[in-house]
Amino acid sequence: MSLRILVGCKRVIDYAVKVRVKPDKLGVVTDGVKHSMNPFDEIAMEEAMRMKEKKLASEVIAVSCGPQQSQETLRTALAMGADRAIHVKIEPKDYETLQPFHVSKILAKIAVEEKIDLVVLGKQAIDDDCNQTGQMTAGLLDWPQGTFVSKVEKVNNHLSVLREIDGGLETVKVSIPAVLTADLRLNEPRYATLPNIMKAKKKPLAVKSVADYGVDISPRQEVLSVEDPPTREAGQKVESVDDLVQKLKDGGFV
Amino acid sequence: MITTRSYSCVSFCRRLLRKKLINTHHYKTPITYKFYTGKQHFSDFTKSKISTQCLIKEITEVSRDHLTPEISLQLITPNCPLWHSGEDQCPFPDPFWAFYWPGGQALTRFILDNGELFRGKTVVDVGCGCGASSIACRMVVAAHVIANDIDTVAAEAVELNTELNNVTQTTVTTSNLVGCHDNRWDILLFGDMFYDTNFANVITEWVVSLYTNGVTIFIGDPGRLPFEQHPLKSDLKMVAEYALPENCLKENNGLSCGFVWKYEPGNT
Repeated sequence: MSLRILVGCKRVIDYAVKVRVKPDKLGVVTDGVKHSMNPFDEIAMEEAMRMKEKKLASEVIAVSCGPQQSQETLRTALAMGADRAIHVKIEPKDYETLQPFHVSKILAKIAVEEKIDLVVLGKQAIDDDCNQTGQMTAGLLDWPQGTFVSKVEKVNNHLSVLREIDGGLETVKVSIPAVLTADLRLNEPRYATLPNIMKAKKKPLAVKSVADYGVDISPRQEVLSVEDPPTREAGQKVESVDDLVQKLKDGGFV
Repeated sequence: MITTRSYSCVSFCRRLLRKKLINTHHYKTPITYKFYTGKQHFSDFTKSKISTQCLIKEITEVSRDHLTPEISLQLITPNCPLWHSGEDQCPFPDPFWAFYWPGGQALTRFILDNGELFRGKTVVDVGCGCGASSIACRMVVAAHVIANDIDTVAAEAVELNTELNNVTQTTVTTSNLVGCHDNRWDILLFGDMFYDTNFANVITEWVVSLYTNGVTIFIGDPGRLPFEQHPLKSDLKMVAEYALPENCLKENNGLSCGFVWKYEPGNT
């Protein structure tokens, strides 16, 4: 059984960039700032490619919901080995209020339309840290989900998924079709080499609109303010345990 | 036609002299001829030609690490800095000729292993890239080989590679041959040309009309999706299958075999 895999790729501010809050305190500065593929999505993409190399997958489709520049992220996905890409174009003003709820609806529609067997996403995006899209997509499709995946294997007609959870490691048996979300230790993504970058330019990239999928992306939330985290205050050093207990009592903590 | 100028200093220019016979076949579309002279005062044309070839040699290395080690090719390999860098670092746009694609490797291997099919024939290598298939055809003594690639830098790379392998009787043309015909063509080669869906669609009609005119068509492909899903596929007969070498596998995302197909409608 050869799986058709859909991989979600989000264009986010590069992990190494120092993020700055906009003067209006309603968001962060994105103009002129280096963007790249969400690192967890790179891991998801890498896993899809490894499944293709093991002949478990027949086709890998990369999808990104975002403005025009999301196509750069999709070209990276194609250079990593995806067979084709879908860009769901979102207008910049709509993109500011786009939430995992909307994205999961779009992904669910694409999964049905493209007869997908496995949706692989990053566990969360490093810009919003929502950790919701995978779970919501599975819910909308009524598919089983394997989240925080650090290892996945195909056993007969199902997947054996190793999850990293707070208490340790959990192995779950997940039937196909399913949604997986990739965690850090799943794999180490490959770098796109020049021959693959060149091949990527010739691979098909379809541009679609939200209307093509009949999804309503009207905002359900309003951002009230965005602020820098409070600057860390200096701590106090104490000489002995008794001093520590006294300080704690004085502060009303004990 | 490039006009030549007489020269006096042969020894100085010997390494620049290309021994190529000008093809005198007449094609419907004009063919650009490549003919070099060595001379003391180089024309701008010759200067730019030398610098392109020097630059090609600088960014590539001579490699035999592929399915056809009998042939040396100037390629960008993992040992070259450009392999790991982005496109921006490359002095040439889209250097497809700098890589030996798996479909091309399979086709070239087939040519070397089945020389009798190509001996004495006139062969056209469409989208020849580095020119490996063309070189192989001459090695098995095809009567004449036309290496075709619309990329002018590819044409330079093919010349470098034919020289590297001491091969002659090869014409290099950068004209777009799609849709062309010539009664003297016996065999047409497509080495890994189906990665591009647009191109695959454009050549379908051409392939059919070539076949009707008695041309044998061989296609090399590692099983790329645009090829697998192409309507032409049902009229193709597999004539060879090769396991791809290790270095190829790493770059080819799950494609592990190179196949050679012969266009034979109604016979599959």
